[in-house]
Amino acid sequence: MTLFSQAFRRVGSAKVDPVLVALWISLILLALIWITPFVFIVFTALKSNATVMGASAFMPPTELAFENFAAAWRRGNFSTTAFNGVVITVIKVPLGLFISAMAAYALAKVPMRMNKALFALFLFGTMLPFQVMLAPIFRQVNAFGLINTYPGIILPYLAFGIPYQVFILYGFFSAVPKELSEAARIDGASHFTIFRRIFLPISLPVLSALLILDFVATWNEFAMALVILQDPKMWTLPLGLMSFQSQFSSDYGELNAAIIMTVLPAALVYLMFQRYFVAGLTSGAVKE
Amino acid sequence: MASVDISGVKKSYGAVAVMHGVDVAIGDGEFVILVGPSGCGKSTLLRMVAGLETVTGGQIAIDGRRVNELEPKDRDIAMVFQNYALYPQMTVAQNMGFALELAGRSKAEIKAEVDKAAEILSLTALLDRKPGQLSGGQRQRVAMGRAIVRHPKVFLFDEPLSNLDAKLRVKMRAEIKALHQRLKSTIIYVTHDQIEAMTMADKIVVMNAGRVEQIGTPLELYDNPANLFVATFMGSPAMNILPAVTQAGAVLVAGVATLPIVVSVPPGTKIAYGIRPDEITIDPESPVKAEVVVVEPTGSETHITARLAGHEITLISKARVALAPGDQIGLSFSPNKHHLFDDATGRRLEASGGMAA
Repeated sequence: MTLFSQAFRRVGSAKVDPVLVALWISLILLALIWITPFVFIVFTALKSNATVMGASAFMPPTELAFENFAAAWRRGNFSTTAFNGVVITVIKVPLGLFISAMAAYALAKVPMRMNKALFALFLFGTMLPFQVMLAPIFRQVNAFGLINTYPGIILPYLAFGIPYQVFILYGFFSAVPKELSEAARIDGASHFTIFRRIFLPISLPVLSALLILDFVATWNEFAMALVILQDPKMWTLPLGLMSFQSQFSSDYGELNAAIIMTVLPAALVYLMFQRYFVAGLTSGAVKE
Repeated sequence: MASVDISGVKKSYGAVAVMHGVDVAIGDGEFVILVGPSGCGKSTLLRMVAGLETVTGGQIAIDGRRVNELEPKDRDIAMVFQNYALYPQMTVAQNMGFALELAGRSKAEIKAEVDKAAEILSLTALLDRKPGQLSGGQRQRVAMGRAIVRHPKVFLFDEPLSNLDAKLRVKMRAEIKALHQRLKSTIIYVTHDQIEAMTMADKIVVMNAGRVEQIGTPLELYDNPANLFVATFMGSPAMNILPAVTQAGAVLVAGVATLPIVVSVPPGTKIAYGIRPDEITIDPESPVKAEVVVVEPTGSETHITARLAGHEITLISKARVALAPGDQIGLSFSPNKHHLFDDATGRRLEASGGMAA
């Protein structure tokens, strides 16, 4: 218990700090509130419909009804929507990040006449809510004949995802000491080499944070997908889930199983990449 | 190894001119230090030699070849930065071998060069570490190693010791000097620390406000400063400068001390009289009296600040002295150790006759 008891004390102090105790209590309370819906969803997903109707919502399931998952997968056409979601996300997220990182590097580190104006243009992109653009985008995508295609949804996703990522990465790259790229220039590196060998590795924490955010946002995106992907064969998971909900809204067990299957990949990606969230990857580069 | 010729180099940012025609000739294997106060243009000049800043006017030539338009990598130079600028995600060995890797050298070649440099800098045990796991002095050595492996024609150092603590700085100073003697390479080194310049350089270039004030060996600058700026910048504590008036066959210093100095300017001219703190001695017999203001014992010597006719002067006493602020002391100025400067231009005045300093 030494580790636990240390949590309530200031570093190097033997006395219990009431502020720390209060912080811990509020943290635990907050975590409980946060986790309640998930517990509810998981429990419900594992109950048969009769149990859901008959017992309290927070009662743990007595017999695990795993068949809910199989049934929901089949009836909700998950193999199609999950495949579409994977294709779109796996292409869009890394491609968008790569483009954003290159743009941010150029804006931050390559001296150009138009740097400020171009960056302002990107900033402007972050200010446009895409909901108001849905109709024009639909017309545009339609004009290109890309309705119900992967490029038709990936291109608008890129357009709306990149400005924000450029904004974040520009800030990060600007803070990298100029001596680092100068040293690399003297060592004989081209801009692309400096970008690939120096800037990408040291921005791993930022890139992985953006990757998680972008993965979750892309995976769960609904409105644009609803407008552009009209053929059920092209649907992504959120669209499939909506359709499932409207068809089988009374089958709570299967509905919640479907919800879990929809959010699980996002949670897994988060767990995989959150270890790169560690700060201090640049420590030791330069003396602060 | 190579010579570097900087001739008539100018730099301006838009309409603002920061460097007004700098000429420095650096011989093969010379250790040249650019020294001056912050903002004097010494780092800008170094960065122009490196190719990190464009040259507005004039020419920079390395080994006789004009390099103004060349990319840094094509100039055959290596640079050590004040904040080290190590690649944080690479190990020490990767940091040092990066330039060779980019030049397309084989793995075995890179390893051999890196091992050799690591040996010189005693970094062998640290080759697999990341910069974050190293101390300041070790990082500084890695930065030097990165320069050494390339066998550049010219090494450029931009205030490499400024981020180290005082003790380590003295040690690294000796290491860099030893490295220069071993590699016999041409080095251009920028510092604002005149002690670093005095102790390490073959040749010092004193810069001020985008101009070269004087170029010479450390002792030349110390003994024969060309003007008031160099006189007060080189040497610590700084040279005392007192107002003086010439008389027939003598100079009246600060209105109180008449010193027998023959000057080339007519009597009655206002000049500046300079004398180093270690050329002033306490002499109870002397008619020149001053009041002690501060006494700073350093152990080996004592620095005394005193007020002489309203002017603060510093003197160094090798002997231990029992003085307190407010005490009256007599001062005597070593003859022939003075420096005289024109009051208006600040230029050095050569004393005429056999009394030259």
